[in-house]
Amino acid sequence: MVYLPLPDQASASKPSYAEAYANILKAHRQSPLTSAASVIILVAPDVDALCASRMLADLLKQDDVMYRIIPVSGVSELEKVRDELAMVSELHTLILLNMGAILDLPSEEWFGGFSTQMSVHVIDSARPQNLSSLFGGGEAGDRIVVWDDGSADKLEQERKAWEALTYEPLPDSDDEDSDLDSDEEPIRDDDDEEEYEQTTGKRRSLGEGDRSSGKRQRVDRERPRRMTRDDYDMYSARLEKHYMGGTWHGQSAAGTIYILATILERVDNELLWLAILGLTFQYTTSRISRDTYDIYHSAFRDEVFRLNPPPPTGENAMLSMNPDDLSVRATDELRFMLFRHWTLYDAMLHSGYVAGKLGIWKERGRKRLTGLLAKMGFSLLQTQQPYSHMDLDLKKTLVQKLNDVAPLYGLVELAYPSFIRCFGYRSQPLSAADAVEGISALLDVAEGIKLEVEVEGARNGGEWFGGGKIWEATSSMRDNSRRKREERGEYSTRITKLRESLTLSMTVHRKIIDQGTSIIDRRDIRTMRNHRVVILTQGRASRPLLASRETAITTRSKRKSLPFVVACLNESTQSYLVVGVMAALDFGDVRKNEFGLAFLDAKERCNARTRHGSFDTSVLEINQEDLKVFLETLCEGADA
Amino acid sequence: MSLPPVLRASVTPPELELIACQELVEIIPLIPMEKTAFIAGAYGPLRPPHRARIPIWMALNLKQKKKCHIIAPDWLSVEYLEAKIKDETTQTQFTELPFHFAEISRVLLDGATDDLQNPDKLRTLLQDLREARQAKARAGLQNLEHSSLRLSNLSAMEINEIRPFFIQAMAVLKQLHVPPK
Repeated sequence: MVYLPLPDQASASKPSYAEAYANILKAHRQSPLTSAASVIILVAPDVDALCASRMLADLLKQDDVMYRIIPVSGVSELEKVRDELAMVSELHTLILLNMGAILDLPSEEWFGGFSTQMSVHVIDSARPQNLSSLFGGGEAGDRIVVWDDGSADKLEQERKAWEALTYEPLPDSDDEDSDLDSDEEPIRDDDDEEEYEQTTGKRRSLGEGDRSSGKRQRVDRERPRRMTRDDYDMYSARLEKHYMGGTWHGQSAAGTIYILATILERVDNELLWLAILGLTFQYTTSRISRDTYDIYHSAFRDEVFRLNPPPPTGENAMLSMNPDDLSVRATDELRFMLFRHWTLYDAMLHSGYVAGKLGIWKERGRKRLTGLLAKMGFSLLQTQQPYSHMDLDLKKTLVQKLNDVAPLYGLVELAYPSFIRCFGYRSQPLSAADAVEGISALLDVAEGIKLEVEVEGARNGGEWFGGGKIWEATSSMRDNSRRKREERGEYSTRITKLRESLTLSMTVHRKIIDQGTSIIDRRDIRTMRNHRVVILTQGRASRPLLASRETAITTRSKRKSLPFVVACLNESTQSYLVVGVMAALDFGDVRKNEFGLAFLDAKERCNARTRHGSFDTSVLEINQEDLKVFLETLCEGADA
Repeated sequence: MSLPPVLRASVTPPELELIACQELVEIIPLIPMEKTAFIAGAYGPLRPPHRARIPIWMALNLKQKKKCHIIAPDWLSVEYLEAKIKDETTQTQFTELPFHFAEISRVLLDGATDDLQNPDKLRTLLQDLREARQAKARAGLQNLEHSSLRLSNLSAMEINEIRPFFIQAMAVLKQLHVPPK
């Protein structure tokens, strides 16, 4: 029902975040059945949701509210969780983090059947949002509260269109009347397919809505005012435009909770750091553009200066001042993967942007990289040293030189402003980007993949490190993986574990680059009209985020900017994991991802057996036998 | 006794911390509260920005929820501790310190770091103080006799450390002692 505008637009009649939060507290304190299961938080498996859940947990703990956090990996698991939750009678608040924006929540299929005392809060950065969750009224709709960032205010046209189509009877003309009377179902289904194709659940539920309005039409045939056919077309087109435009992202969930904390005047460094991590995650995974990042960044920068003592300058800028120093400082970040923990050469080699532009998969590309470094005045020996052992003056001039020399090779915008956090004397200060990388590596990988972790220093023949270690995490069942995801939440603040995860992350990146290089080498990429397709049969990279990172890298490798599709075989389930990535011209340029719709379209037409494993609509699991047909339909569909 | 053998020897440090937290400390509350009755007594009312004296356990709880600022007790400051260390190292007797100083300082350094001035300097000073006193305690134990032991100005934590040892030692000495006829 309700969507909450940003607090500065709130007024007495339009509640915003603080009121919604106060309602949660009130419900918790007043309900006689309050127990640990009264407030349940469902968390999607990405860094932003994880940070948001930590922040929310801290706020609730300070208010003495008992809560439970349940990680949910995808839409199918959400359905299972929903069925379990229907049994819980003392549940009165459900909070969804980074999931559910696109789902039609007031419908019977989701939360329509729950008790009226319960409320569902949706804090999701994914757009577009489902209009019936936003605007739906009535008993079912009033339960759903969507925490918005101001973009829903601009959906006035869509609101009118949706309300017209849902509540008002549909236009009738003579032949349509008879058609409607006799053959109501097929026409409805047609309409549904055109307009409301996002997830299967949603389609079915909106179909119901239409059917009910059709019944209404039959009942009160005498109603004088009806929509004209033109109006109907206009409204449908409006809704179609809203849903068919592809997916993009709005304000991060962590940022939303930070705004809540600001209104409650309870911000501190911990919350600020987690919010920064959420924003950095959105930027480094290309979910938001550079401009959006800059806007939010400047807001956070002001907060950092407000809450932290002024940082030391000069030599000590990157060191903690004392053992209790937990401050956050602003700094410039380079777009190389974990460059402070690796050698500079490795970092540039493994960063998607640089690798793509310079063409790392060929020997010539690697030479270009060394050439670039040489032009900046960094000797090969220096760049092969771990970053912390590089000469200090080289480090200082690194950013400067990059800005001067890199444009010659076509690399622009290599530096962006970001933050670092000190951890007293327990560890070196850690930058936001590195922390995000470490946490995502843990989320993606540390469940069931056999990897070889190379201990740093082994390559240079370090005496005190041995060879590599084999890091094998046994594959885990659903409960196990759930527990591990809950543990991840603690890792964002437990710095020792986080440092270990950085090693894991580096290994993951190496694997990705190796895989990507081998793909390009073997010329496995087939261009099918509008897309590029790669099919992997080795099944090593069996996680969606890994696959999407691979696609991101290989996309940039080609000069033509075409959308890219990668399919990985998962032998254990006999299915392929298909990921679609839009081609982005530059790093800062983010296009709306239209693969969600394209996949659904293709699936319809070829009747493939598919499953959406995660909340990202551009990732799909499909049966082995159906893959070929599916891909062909996909490419045809792009033409149509 | 129903306690497990490990706990029968003496009180454990976390238990001592709990006992020490009953002491009162001054705070600046950030939220108002009426005079409320607890098991240990009635505390309040809290009227920001006026100061109030409440037990440490309550102060820490409020601090965790960001509802108060704790004011360090007088003895938990760099100058006082430095002076005490100087006295400690020059005299042979133990200097006078609050009975629960070790527990209270530990608890405040962990829970209210930002309300203290110079917490890492305080930590080093407290460590120095403890080592100086420990040396004296060891020297003092050499005077152990069968009937009594006099060590004045020991703090709770230090007594707790010595207790298991000197009870047993005194028992043995008593058995060995032959009363003069």
